[in-house]
Amino acid sequence: MCFKNLPITFDSDGRARLAEGVADPYAVAVAEPKDFVRSAQARSSAGALAAPPRLREWSIDPVTRVAGALAVHTVLDLETRTAVEAHSMAMLFRGYEIILKGRDPRDAIDISSRACGVCGGVHSTVSSLAMEMAFGIVSPPLGTCVRNLGEVAEMFYDHPLHLGLLAGPDYSTAIVSVTNPELVERAAKTPAPHADVHGFRTVKDIMDGFNPLEGAIYLESLEYTRIARTMCTLMYGKYPHPSTLVPGGVSTTVSTSTFNEYYANLGKIFDYAKRLAGIWDDICDFFLEADPRYSDVGLRPSNLIQTGIWDDPAVYDATYANIDAWGQARYSAPGIVKDGELVTTKLTEINMGIEEFVEHSYYEDWTAGWNGSGANPNGSNGNGNGAGRGGPRFAADALGNPLSPYHAWNKETIPRPEGKNFKEKYSWATAPRWDRISMETGVYGRMWTTAMARQLPDNPYIEATGDGLRILLPAHDLPETELEWKIPAKLNAFERNRGRAYGVGFTAAIGMICLMQAFEYWRKGETRVSTPFKVPTDERVAMGAWEAGRGYLTHHLHMDKGKLLNYQINTPSTWNASPRDPFGNPGPYEEAIVGTPLLESVADDDIKGIDILRSIRSFDPCMPCTTHMDTGRGVITREVNSCGCTLE
Amino acid sequence: MTQYTKVVPGVPHGEIEAKPLVTDPDDPFAPVALRSARRPKRSDLVSQGPLEKAYLFWIVGASCDGCTIAVAGATHPPVEDLLNGRVPGLPRIEIVHTVLSVESGPEWTENLRLAAEGKLDAPYLIAWEGSVMDETVSGEHGYWMGLGEDPADGRQITSLEWLDRMAPGAAAVLAIGTCACWGGIPAAHGNPTNAMGVMDHLGKDYRSALGLPVINVPGCSPIGDNITETAAAALLFLNGLAPLPEFDELGRPAWLFTETVHRHCPRAGYYEEGVFAHSYGDKECLVELGCWGPVVQCNIAERGIVDGHGGCMNMGGICIGCTMPGFPDKFSPFYERPPGALLSTNANRVMGGFIRRLRRLSQTDKMRSARWDGDRDLPSGWGRYKTQPVGAERLVHRLYSRRQHSREGG
Ligand code: SF4
Ligand code: SF4
Repeated sequence: MCFKNLPITFDSDGRARLAEGVADPYAVAVAEPKDFVRSAQARSSAGALAAPPRLREWSIDPVTRVAGALAVHTVLDLETRTAVEAHSMAMLFRGYEIILKGRDPRDAIDISSRACGVCGGVHSTVSSLAMEMAFGIVSPPLGTCVRNLGEVAEMFYDHPLHLGLLAGPDYSTAIVSVTNPELVERAAKTPAPHADVHGFRTVKDIMDGFNPLEGAIYLESLEYTRIARTMCTLMYGKYPHPSTLVPGGVSTTVSTSTFNEYYANLGKIFDYAKRLAGIWDDICDFFLEADPRYSDVGLRPSNLIQTGIWDDPAVYDATYANIDAWGQARYSAPGIVKDGELVTTKLTEINMGIEEFVEHSYYEDWTAGWNGSGANPNGSNGNGNGAGRGGPRFAADALGNPLSPYHAWNKETIPRPEGKNFKEKYSWATAPRWDRISMETGVYGRMWTTAMARQLPDNPYIEATGDGLRILLPAHDLPETELEWKIPAKLNAFERNRGRAYGVGFTAAIGMICLMQAFEYWRKGETRVSTPFKVPTDERVAMGAWEAGRGYLTHHLHMDKGKLLNYQINTPSTWNASPRDPFGNPGPYEEAIVGTPLLESVADDDIKGIDILRSIRSFDPCMPCTTHMDTGRGVITREVNSCGCTLE
Repeated sequence: MTQYTKVVPGVPHGEIEAKPLVTDPDDPFAPVALRSARRPKRSDLVSQGPLEKAYLFWIVGASCDGCTIAVAGATHPPVEDLLNGRVPGLPRIEIVHTVLSVESGPEWTENLRLAAEGKLDAPYLIAWEGSVMDETVSGEHGYWMGLGEDPADGRQITSLEWLDRMAPGAAAVLAIGTCACWGGIPAAHGNPTNAMGVMDHLGKDYRSALGLPVINVPGCSPIGDNITETAAAALLFLNGLAPLPEFDELGRPAWLFTETVHRHCPRAGYYEEGVFAHSYGDKECLVELGCWGPVVQCNIAERGIVDGHGGCMNMGGICIGCTMPGFPDKFSPFYERPPGALLSTNANRVMGGFIRRLRRLSQTDKMRSARWDGDRDLPSGWGRYKTQPVGAERLVHRLYSRRQHSREGG
């Protein structure tokens, strides 16, 4: 039983249904958002704390060295040296899904891609997957291989960019010598355990390497992002925003050179992956040993949601009926992790549990005008497409699994820009929840689900051990190396970064599997990369689910008469950056910041908040695609707004 | 200019003491505008010209960050060389960019304030990425693109307010990417934000402090090298080392955006011979699959997308016109043949088809060495080719060769 909060039960055949006798199964009992400042103050006045809090407000707008427009409002308690409050704010709205409404569905490939230029290829892919499901076609095996290899290469650019340029400087000599000079001294005396792999003699040498703009690791990561992009362009043509993804496969003109050139670069990545794992092991272990309280920096419960990525070309058939089977066959498993335990790897169950709330986001609740929120008088599967509805379009998916009115297929967001107010609305991001729990997603999340699912096909490169992954990387300049990543006991800033570093090796191993597969199809003469199709003119409902660098990604579409009626994008950073939900619970960034200790060894006024920044950056925030939402109502006018404002 | 009256209702601003601003120029958390003077100068054999350094404010409007990613992929010159002053004769660029800056929050926005108030120790450029959204339709307190809080009263500042405050004093304003140049996808039909390009917002009469209208480097996303090359060319000119780069009537670097992408397309030969792709993945000209290359000004076919690699048609992707002011609506639905292509493709089928056969004929002669001409057989163990031409074919080759050699000696 994977659901605890939603009243979904499973019959003896494993079919999901709503629990009987629940009048309004998806009712939302709105609660006051958690106000951690007030609770800290109350705790101290009740005498629970030794001394009253001494608070400092810090509005980090913008948070830098993240992708896109993110602001975080936080309150630091100097007495206990912890962060006591956090609000995560997506600062930008663009309205991509509105633009998609009424268009030829094929346009979604290129338009949805522009939701995010950082996850520069994955939106097009997910859009193609959704269309394959909608059109009833499937990519030929080699087309699937090309997509797999393109997205493998995207990770080789994505992870080093974050580790070297965005997160890395937080651990650099330049920064640490200001916040914790004693650590720099200690680092100079600490030999780096993996010196033979990465070539940095002491931990301080690694920290020098992280110095912004000048450090060796910083500059090298830029170089590797470019190698990765040249690999990407072999499959995608253009990067970011690929030009070769189509429903039914790819339009890449594959030649013998395509795979040969890719292979030539993959060897370099093998070595880089070995070095990155060593560098981040050494840095993370150094901090955690120097002060064990670092394990509380960015700490939150191990609740994760992953959609899985890299399809097995022999299993993937693009149908919703078989989505669980081909989802589970992915080289990186879909799954839900609750408190560290894997509760499902079925995409139908993942899909069924998803809801998006806008209580604290600059949108109107689209269910507000309905006659009832859950028990649905008019809506049933596949029937509805109009405004003025009495209930959700879809009470269930095509297999009869119940869906919430807050599910993507039912969503209809109405943007209402207004002033920020932490009790009411303060972000352009919605609050997605699974089983009404706030979920995080990321590279380490997909390694976590893959490790626990143990569904990987037999292969020489990756072994899922249940509590980790063994990754065998072939020799290049460095000898053949086995990396072992262990599922961390605590999900904190350091383990996120370490996981991401190992993620390069994980991805490289999958790249090797996919490349060998591509050679095999090529050898067998199965060289077709696309399937012909006609855009259907009847009603279709479909979803695409794959993963971006940062994890979870879905596109849900509803079309009729060859045009899109509704197109919904839900992205990893929407999950991670989400504001509080109607139940008052914080989103993952907020959870991670609240309680983070401020471990700087400086006077109160000199505190820089580096541990807060480390917490935020460890998620690899990517805001562009977080803020793309949809509306049904066209242009916002001044008039509409002023009445929105009077409601405040 | 737009009046900004946004306040932050509900936030008890000032109720709690704010974390103090870092201003020590030796502190890496301080604004780069204060730190910059302490960065070591590089000695340079090439005369530095008047500019030793310049600030670059890369400000993000309604963007996907794809242009930032594009510029980070540039190799000629790479960004790190510009930022570290490693290109001889070019000023060092002090960058203020949310993705690259060391400082965050109030210290970051302090740089923008200093620029807007004319208090920087060097000239500054603005690179704007993303569309400009109309903040007059985001309500009295709302915003589409928030960027920084006013430390005085907690008021939400928008990206657009920064543009308005900083554009008059900027040495130049560069619009990076199609969104910033012409509006792009956020400005497509149906958008609720009245999105537009920087030019549309600043107006026809806008001139930078150096007297320049907005410079446009389009592309969705642009080729990284188009961005860094344009910036470097402008800076070389300012330092007296290179001629003034030429810009066209739309403010685009003329040498990058005059030609159609079709003229340099590796598939243009197929087009000319009237051979067209019919399935995705085919190697021929893509026009019947929806390529708009023949009318689109873009240099990706010859420059590639990163370090000379990739490119749309180069790898099999159709051109959807992403550099053009009409993008996306004037090119959609994508993946349908442009109506105008009907005439040209059919004309080329007839003419090109004829020429292609003649070429093939000529090619069968050129595929043999002179030595093989006399021999009965071809010494290749592969033996795929018909060895000797016969009859009319042989005659044609003779006549062709006679004609060719009759020109010897001029
Ligand atoms: S693929 Fe496009 S750009 Fe290339 S020759 Fe054909 S029409 Fe021209
Ligand atoms: S070829 Fe067309 S789609 Fe490709 S980059 Fe150039 S303008 Fe954009």
